[in-house]
Amino acid sequence: MPTAYPLPTNVSPATVANTASLLRIVAFGLISAAAIASRLFAVINFESIIHEFDPWFNYRATRVLAAKGFYEFWNWFDPTAWYPLGRVVGGTIYPGLMATSGVIYNFLHYFNLPVDIRNICVLLAPGFSALTAWATYMFTAELKDPSAGLLAAAFIGIVPGYISRSVAGSYDNEAIAIFLLMFTFYCWIKALKLGSAFFGTLAAVFYFYMVAAWGGYAFITNMIPVHALVLLLMGRFSGRLYVAYSSWFRFVGFQPVRTSEHMGALGVFGLLQIVAFASLVRSHVSSKQFQNLLAISVVTMGVLGAGAFVVMTYKGWIAPWTGRFYSLWDTGYAKKYIPIIASVSEHQPTAWPSFFMDLQMLIFLFPAGVVMCFRDLRDEHVFVIIYAVVASYFAGVMVRLMLTLTPVVCVSAAVAFSTLLDTYIDPTEPEATTTEAPTAAPTTTTTTATATPDSKKIKKAVAAAQAGNSASSIASSTFNDIVSATTRKGKSSKSKGIWGADARLAVLLNAIGMLAFFVFHCTWVTSNAYSSPSVVLASTNSDGSQHIIDDYREAYYWLRQNTPQDAVVMSWWDYGYQIAGMADRPTLVDNNTWNNTHIATVGKAMSSPEEIAYPILRKHDVDYVLIIFGGLLGYSGDDINKFLWMVRIAQGVWPDEIQEPNYFTPTGEYRVDDRASDAMKNSLMYKMSYYRFAELYGNQNAVDRVRNQAIPKVGPTLDYLDEAFTSENWIVRIYQVRKEDPLGRDLKSANAFEQGKKKKRSKPVSKRRVIVN
Amino acid sequence: MGTRYRSILANSWSLLTFLLVVFITFTSATSSKSASSTGDSVVVILDPAKKADYSIFLEELQAKGYTVTIRAPKDEKPLLIEDGVPNFSHVVFLASETKSFSKDINPQTLVELLSSGTNLVLTLGLKQNLLTSLAPEFSLLLPPPTTPLVSFFPERPEPPSVIPISVDTTSTPNDSFSVLSSDVGGSIWFSGTAFALSSNPLLFPILHAPAESFVGDLSDASGLVSDALADAAEKGGEGLWAGSSLAVVAGFQTLVGGGTGHGTDAGSGLEQQARVAWVGGASLFSDEFAKKQIVEKVHQERGMKVVGNASGNKQAALDITGWAFQERGVLRIDDVSHHKLNESGAVEMYTTNDEIVYTVHISSYNPSTRKWEPSSGLKDLQVDFTMLDPYVRTALLPVRGKPGAYSTTFRAPDQHGVFKFVINYKRKGFTHLHHTMTVPVVPPRHDGYPRFLSAAWPYYAGAISTSIGFLLFCTLYLAGEAKEEKKTKKE
Repeated sequence: MPTAYPLPTNVSPATVANTASLLRIVAFGLISAAAIASRLFAVINFESIIHEFDPWFNYRATRVLAAKGFYEFWNWFDPTAWYPLGRVVGGTIYPGLMATSGVIYNFLHYFNLPVDIRNICVLLAPGFSALTAWATYMFTAELKDPSAGLLAAAFIGIVPGYISRSVAGSYDNEAIAIFLLMFTFYCWIKALKLGSAFFGTLAAVFYFYMVAAWGGYAFITNMIPVHALVLLLMGRFSGRLYVAYSSWFRFVGFQPVRTSEHMGALGVFGLLQIVAFASLVRSHVSSKQFQNLLAISVVTMGVLGAGAFVVMTYKGWIAPWTGRFYSLWDTGYAKKYIPIIASVSEHQPTAWPSFFMDLQMLIFLFPAGVVMCFRDLRDEHVFVIIYAVVASYFAGVMVRLMLTLTPVVCVSAAVAFSTLLDTYIDPTEPEATTTEAPTAAPTTTTTTATATPDSKKIKKAVAAAQAGNSASSIASSTFNDIVSATTRKGKSSKSKGIWGADARLAVLLNAIGMLAFFVFHCTWVTSNAYSSPSVVLASTNSDGSQHIIDDYREAYYWLRQNTPQDAVVMSWWDYGYQIAGMADRPTLVDNNTWNNTHIATVGKAMSSPEEIAYPILRKHDVDYVLIIFGGLLGYSGDDINKFLWMVRIAQGVWPDEIQEPNYFTPTGEYRVDDRASDAMKNSLMYKMSYYRFAELYGNQNAVDRVRNQAIPKVGPTLDYLDEAFTSENWIVRIYQVRKEDPLGRDLKSANAFEQGKKKKRSKPVSKRRVIVN
Repeated sequence: MGTRYRSILANSWSLLTFLLVVFITFTSATSSKSASSTGDSVVVILDPAKKADYSIFLEELQAKGYTVTIRAPKDEKPLLIEDGVPNFSHVVFLASETKSFSKDINPQTLVELLSSGTNLVLTLGLKQNLLTSLAPEFSLLLPPPTTPLVSFFPERPEPPSVIPISVDTTSTPNDSFSVLSSDVGGSIWFSGTAFALSSNPLLFPILHAPAESFVGDLSDASGLVSDALADAAEKGGEGLWAGSSLAVVAGFQTLVGGGTGHGTDAGSGLEQQARVAWVGGASLFSDEFAKKQIVEKVHQERGMKVVGNASGNKQAALDITGWAFQERGVLRIDDVSHHKLNESGAVEMYTTNDEIVYTVHISSYNPSTRKWEPSSGLKDLQVDFTMLDPYVRTALLPVRGKPGAYSTTFRAPDQHGVFKFVINYKRKGFTHLHHTMTVPVVPPRHDGYPRFLSAAWPYYAGAISTSIGFLLFCTLYLAGEAKEEKKTKKE
């Protein structure tokens, strides 16, 4: 047997297996360590702090859970959110994340480890990323072999697309959801493979956990039925599919009958029952005509069911599709009809560069991996293919769904990459028939070394051998013809292969180089782009040292220290969770955007002139108004840049009072300088943003550094609000709402009186003379 | 070391004295010597030369327990507001004819005094001064300067600008407070200007001008036979200040505590509520008018008889200042409580559809005993249960056997949210009662919903039948297995 390089011969298979297993464990330990470590940039660069917006709510909820217990949490009504409507928290959130942290917290405290709940929350995401790596390993190992699994685990561990949602401090549902997603999928294909009710039930249990943890569970709800349906259509119905699907299928509350998103699962379940019955009948009656009749009846029933479904949707018996769902199909939909959804940057379509930023070389390997799946079209490969197609589409539509694409990219890239490595590490020279060869990364399946036609990197590589036909262990069907076709093709090109060690070395070095670059890229992206808590900003001084801009916390702590406990703070909804979490004050609206009208009310107050806004503020008992202003520092994520969304959302509710075009100049520009429109200049938001801004520059040459526009020398005046606080870099400005005038005047004239201007007589009076006697 | 200790000692000494001073001022403020519910110190802005003209009024004030300070309009001291804190509880402005004042007496200061709870009695003169520019802020419309109120009726020896005004204390509407008490008697003398009241709800007339009076300039009318009145009548009365809709004395209550009951608006704001009495002429308070008799012709069987009565000016001056100094018509909310029906003890939050009992205790100030007494006399007190809009608005009725307590029971709406109990009692002449209290109304707890609904029987049936079916299936499956094996063996 000619080999490209000498192999040790005196090693027993047991030793090989043990060593391989040890190596796997060590490799896996290192992967976990890398996955956790790379997520700690945020803690090292800044501090152990909760990031961004939503995590602040999760953190606050977790504290309630840890302090009061699960039942109180379940019944938690938060009177400080959405003042005065309040928010029924317990019943309206995904408690999976908080419950997980609560369990960990109680577990550690049971063993007298007094770990702060904040640190648990901060470090939960990195911890779960290690588990995700493990789940991905198991999943990929099912798909190909453990070595591909290890690669996939390594990829998912450090790929920026996943890190972006799971750095330390990013305490969000996605932190645990991706692990649950991968593990549910693993259980599903395992159940499908073995026909195991146990794994099916396990999949159901983890699916349930997922339902409790993330709104994206609908992805699983639809992925698995679609997979089952495709298998059915491919004629791959089997007892295993029936068992796996039936044991997985669980109702999620009463939703399956009510919302369209769950209909698919129910429909496929019904279909499976019918098909199972049909195949039972077919096994007893083998009449061709009967089969045809059966097929027709199945189709008829399907059409009837679909028709009924459409009718029910139109009649409104079943819930209409949600707005987010529509925006998945028509990217312009949200912008037209639901400005709130469109105003979230996460819901924007993905830009091309972000694919490369988040996935780097994996995006090239991804199609190759999917093609590899076609070569070896077992049920689980079909699953990966469907997953890849669906997730690619969704990732293109919405930025945040990049997250669901990332695991499948890692898996298929790992399959492609490990195939490449298998092919080139395999020492077998072409003439020989393939035998089981111990390799550095041992293989478990008998199928070895199918080569990848990765046209960009490798010149020409062909499949070496196809000995065992484990693929055909699936019940044979017409669709397996494809598989056998590829097998035959592989057999015909049997004599082709790789000769010598140098060719192997060239490709392998290239591959290792790619891996190394991938690692560098991931580290760079993670440390630079995804580790900012966004609560604390960092800038670089002229000498290169880091300068921390801590305006948010400065302002929130000001609120906490200087205002009454029950003072209501109005701000745009982005900052609602942070105010509740850090300042501990009631807010009008927050990031849980459940009430459009309430948000529109805030939008209207912000975009109206003072005298119109004031009654709104008083009606909602607002004590303070908080805005974000980046004009001094050049911080572009400020409220003036979000202002048009406020206008749009308000316009959606009050089209007669707020009109978006009024906020543009006649030439259609969005300006804040002299040429700004009157509606813009009189709006509360503009006034609050630029109040006394020109004074800072000595009333000359005041420039807004975000918009790069000169601010008028005479700044806006405020009659109904008092400036209460402005943070160091002017990022956060807080205004106090004035009380009604004690004399019952409107505050504008009261202010004018205060400044000594004489009030005009309301009636001109003519002097009269009278007659005396 | 020694010096350090000494300085600490000195510091603590100064702290102690400071506390003592604070304590003394505090006690003196609370244990009132005067009839007022808000304080004893009165500053009268008056030219010392004219002090003798008002001696009766000033003596009466002192007799009621007030410490009266006279300050000349041009004096620099004592300041009305020192370090942001008002120096006096009440200010009487009698320098109506003075044109220039020292720096700290200006419209802005007077308004600032009001917002910090100082009561004012302001008398207008015929000439323009700072009050002329202040009056529009209170929605008072003043006639042009140097035009007094004149009336030719009833026929009398006095000049037309000195008018007897009969005081009708009976025709006060039910829901407002009668400032002039029945002790005033028949009529009072008045000389000065009148003013019109615009629609500000905080402003109300205390004394109207007589129906036949009007505002006009008498200064050079001797030679002119102009018929301005006739002209005005032809124009339908346009431009003529006349008739009983003009007021010569008006009251104004400042608006405070109109807040949200939480946050920066917490507290009832009662302590900052101030009153202002606007009087058309300072002479109403003068000794001259107090002593001057009202001469009336009384119809008798045998022709007319001229009767001289003492004028009501002395009493009217006391009534007006008494009201303005918050002696009378002063209410306060002592206590507000709410709880679930058939339960006692306050709750943090209510569940939707709970029966809520809301009780409020109200006291009024009795100037004669100088004590707060429970008051059950309010007829039209209401409470709102509000979240953005009132969901419940119901009358608060006096509780029998509990003086001062008003209570009602109502069902919380079937809507969760942060609700407010709002009492908003604003009646003319009475202290405004405004009280807000927030309470969350939450949906039922997870175990608070009714169990075993009849409408849910399909679900129960489904669950039970599935369980039974599963058990049956298991038994049949386990029992039937052996037979199948036999069959296969046979085959």
